[in-house]
Amino acid sequence: MTMNRRHFLKKAAAASAMAAVAAMLPGVLFASDIESDHFPPGIDWTKAPCRFCGVGCGILVGVQNGKAVAVKGDPNSSVNKGMLCVKGYHQTMCISSADRLTKALVKKHGKYVETSMEEALDLVAAKMKETIDRHGKDAVAMYTSGQSTIPEGYVASKLMKGAIGTNNLECNARLCMASAVAGFLTTFGADEPMGCYEDIDHANVFILWGNNMAEMHPVLFSRLLDKRLTRKDVSIIDLATRTTRTSKAADKSILFKPQGDLAIANAICYELINNGWVNKSFVEKHVVFRKGKTDIGYGLEDKFAFKDEAQPIDFEQYKSFLEDYRPDKVEALTGVSAGDIKFLASLYGNPNKKVVSFWCMGMNQHTRGTWMNNLVYNIHLLTGKISQPGNGPFSLTGQPSACGTAREVGTFTHKLPKGVVTNKKHRELAAKIWKVPYDRIPDKPTYHATEMFRAVDRGEIKFIWIQATNPLVSLPKTSRYRPGMQKKSCFIVVSDVFPTPTTDVADVILPAAWHIEKSGLYGNSERRTQYWDRMTDAPGEAMPDAWMTIEVARRMGYGDLFPYSKEKHHEEIYNEYRQFHAGKQHNMAPLAILKKRSGVIWPYIEETGKSTLWRYNSKYDPACDPDKDFDFYGNADGKAVIWQRPYEAAPEMPDNEYPFWLNTGRVIEHWHTGSMTRRIPVLHQAVPHAYVELHPDDARQLGIVNGQKVKVISRRGTTILPASINERGLPARGQVFVPFFDEKMLINDVTLDAFCPISKEPDYKKCAVRIEKL
Amino acid sequence: MGRSNVIIGFWIVLLAAAGLIFITSLSEEQSLTGDKAEATGPSGSLPVEEGVFRLSGNAVEFMRLYNSGIQGHMDINGYYSRRAFPGAPPVIPHPVEEFPENMGKYCLQCHGKGGYVAQLSAFAPLTPHADLINCLQCHVPVKTSGTFAASTWIRPAAPETGRQALPGSPPVIPHDLQMRSNCLSCHGGPSAPVEIRVSHPERVNCLQCHVPNEGTSNKNTIWTR
Amino acid sequence: MPVKSYIAFPRVGMKEQLIEVLKKTPHCEVMPALNKDVLVLVTDTADDQEEEALRQILYGIKELAHLNLVSGYSDKINQTDEKSSEHDNE
Repeated sequence: MTMNRRHFLKKAAAASAMAAVAAMLPGVLFASDIESDHFPPGIDWTKAPCRFCGVGCGILVGVQNGKAVAVKGDPNSSVNKGMLCVKGYHQTMCISSADRLTKALVKKHGKYVETSMEEALDLVAAKMKETIDRHGKDAVAMYTSGQSTIPEGYVASKLMKGAIGTNNLECNARLCMASAVAGFLTTFGADEPMGCYEDIDHANVFILWGNNMAEMHPVLFSRLLDKRLTRKDVSIIDLATRTTRTSKAADKSILFKPQGDLAIANAICYELINNGWVNKSFVEKHVVFRKGKTDIGYGLEDKFAFKDEAQPIDFEQYKSFLEDYRPDKVEALTGVSAGDIKFLASLYGNPNKKVVSFWCMGMNQHTRGTWMNNLVYNIHLLTGKISQPGNGPFSLTGQPSACGTAREVGTFTHKLPKGVVTNKKHRELAAKIWKVPYDRIPDKPTYHATEMFRAVDRGEIKFIWIQATNPLVSLPKTSRYRPGMQKKSCFIVVSDVFPTPTTDVADVILPAAWHIEKSGLYGNSERRTQYWDRMTDAPGEAMPDAWMTIEVARRMGYGDLFPYSKEKHHEEIYNEYRQFHAGKQHNMAPLAILKKRSGVIWPYIEETGKSTLWRYNSKYDPACDPDKDFDFYGNADGKAVIWQRPYEAAPEMPDNEYPFWLNTGRVIEHWHTGSMTRRIPVLHQAVPHAYVELHPDDARQLGIVNGQKVKVISRRGTTILPASINERGLPARGQVFVPFFDEKMLINDVTLDAFCPISKEPDYKKCAVRIEKL
Repeated sequence: MGRSNVIIGFWIVLLAAAGLIFITSLSEEQSLTGDKAEATGPSGSLPVEEGVFRLSGNAVEFMRLYNSGIQGHMDINGYYSRRAFPGAPPVIPHPVEEFPENMGKYCLQCHGKGGYVAQLSAFAPLTPHADLINCLQCHVPVKTSGTFAASTWIRPAAPETGRQALPGSPPVIPHDLQMRSNCLSCHGGPSAPVEIRVSHPERVNCLQCHVPNEGTSNKNTIWTR
Repeated sequence: MPVKSYIAFPRVGMKEQLIEVLKKTPHCEVMPALNKDVLVLVTDTADDQEEEALRQILYGIKELAHLNLVSGYSDKINQTDEKSSEHDNE
């Protein structure tokens, strides 16, 4: 104690002397050892994007003695301005989980044996090669993630499509963002939102379409609340099937029946036209009208195929189509009063109000997800409220790099880093940058996510490598796909940070480096690319997914295509990838800029060093034709499409045998399948397990009390969960809600694998179940 | 006596010089991630020091409560036991209505103004950021003491208190002010842990004498031209 | 147990020599500036006798041009403060 005190006195004396010198001789420098001694122990803060959702908050990670000890919001990030959510603050704690995967595990005679990484990668490469030799290229597949970094997605695409020559590459973003992509492509011919989060600072009205933003995009929601607090003219409208925290915070909550959103959107358009609220000059100059196929199916059968066909229509035809959606006519279908629909239309139609529509999984995980996205664009196009500060449709992303990696790098079966495999020019560009023969890249897409796991079940895919995702918790109808993956016919490799139900069925488990244990880049919902540097060492032999892919590619004989260095591969890969997006429409910022700033929104303007905040508006976007005020350059004619899309019923609706709608989703505390967040004590202790939310009247009728264990039963399977009544959320009567994070209470054993025929994204929000007491 | 006044005066000059060093280093650290080029919209929602004076109206009341003899049960260990690491948002140690009509109002009833809660034999801690009303975004209840998988996480040491440049000079602020810019919420008032309670809550302009110095990032602690 | 800190200025061109001498002097810790001809000296002695002896040694160092006391501390509160101010700007 005396020693410490004496030490302290000396340091204090020294510090004051130094301060005095500094006052006398500005610019004087002392060796810093005294400072570091004086202030033990130093924490170094390094910037990164958050590991979790698509909001893409900037974080600062505090590292002390080589360990991450704290996280705070980056005040310089314009996304979150210093704020975070409970997941964000505690994220690095998952690294400390005792069951972290640190060694490669190979299944031998039914048991996992610790193996060196070298040997495991040899085995993976040999198996992959052997499978190709014996069964052809399309017998091997990779299934990656919207949580993979940009370099990780890029090397996966290069290996599968460029080196091997198969389109058997998919990712879990198919399960969350495919309808958003299909919506953007069909309406605008180019993916991703036109606006940015700064829209929040300018808008007067926020309409949330089936989006529990308070829990799922909490930091953005706090920005909405902040605006409402500081400005008088801001209102938030929650349009949903379940009463949530968001509904409670909103100025108005409107509940609709599942699938009713299709009719609501059309009814709003009916009202806009009927009341003369259409922005005629905008529509004349920038919009064309089309219709597609109807009665398009649900993809429930294996090898389901569908191709939409667009037919031009005119405004009058569209107008008469909308006659069926007069607000009073759709009341029964939607459960929403004509008054409420007229109210919504009046907000969109008021020329003095700036309106932003937000949505995420409610509209995307929908058997008519692409249509639903089109329909909300219709509203914004009819009113011309798009591509301007505070006016626009805003499709929010679920995963931290669903945009940056899955959509921009294109880790889908039909995609290439630029464009699609069906386009000759796009294949030629990829072949040129990859330095592979052009005809090696196949021109036909193969399996989308759900179909890929059906193909595993059918025995067509004989080797699959899964990276950074946990499909046996996140796929719909896991009651089919788990037994499918347990079959001997497919060799399964899983790269992950923690053991999961998916690693449980693997033949080889490869230990992956977590977020801050590797360098990388993510891209968030607002087209913002964010770079981070490795901050701590990965434990044991864990390595970045990208490096595993490169090691396997080299072992398979593709070394010349993967000439990257271990230390700098993420940079070398990004610089190569950046070439794909050269040009005004999608220019990505150079690495040097990304390292300096918390993030940069593309298209990045080289001349000014600035981001393009609003696309398609020539005031902000240099890629536009300067002679036009708006230019939807994704389409050849520069025009956006208003689609005639009708209401069609959900594939499975409650009946006498299965009388409840089942809705699934997330809670703020847990990230997706919980493999990370459940290993963070604060988060696990807040929500230790899943539950089934019931309406109190339904519970009373069934004689169920809060906390009582009940069976949730569908035609696919059964899960047992405790009932939750009047807790987190309040489902409408006749509906139940279950969060899907809990691997011990797998609700996806119960869900239906129906999907949108255009986007192939499954609908996790609607199927029929019955509830039984145990 | 006159002589010691001179000495004290000299110390204040020194402290000012030291303060200059600390403040400069902080801004240099922040500029590491500069994203200023894009900050074209209305100003950020979290100016770091905006909350300093928020509870100042209560300062005299805090003094009175100090002297009233009523004691809360919060000590520094209890304070940190609710935080995964110093600076982490504290968990909610009491049952909470998960679904209040108005979350902000519900929580601020107690955590906005404070007051004695007989059921918990404690004074309600005051929030340093009453304008952020999506409370459950960062603060979560504790439903179980178990873990999903064992964790080797060790709570990092709390910042050392009482760190002064000179004996007798005002201690520096050993943590950053982000989300914690209202000093009195943790250091004033009857809910403040005794160990870090300020003896003079009525002198509300805390940053006049106490300068932030996290003791972080050694490379930036010395000012150069 | 007095603890004192000083600003020490070497004679022109003798900074390195002064550092060496001070390093060898008992009870002294030296922190040279990296870019100016100045150094900070912290002394730590057990009692007043030792303190006085050290002062004599310091006065005898020929490489030292000027010694400027900045702060002092003693368990006997304020005593050393009173004394130290006498050495100010000697």
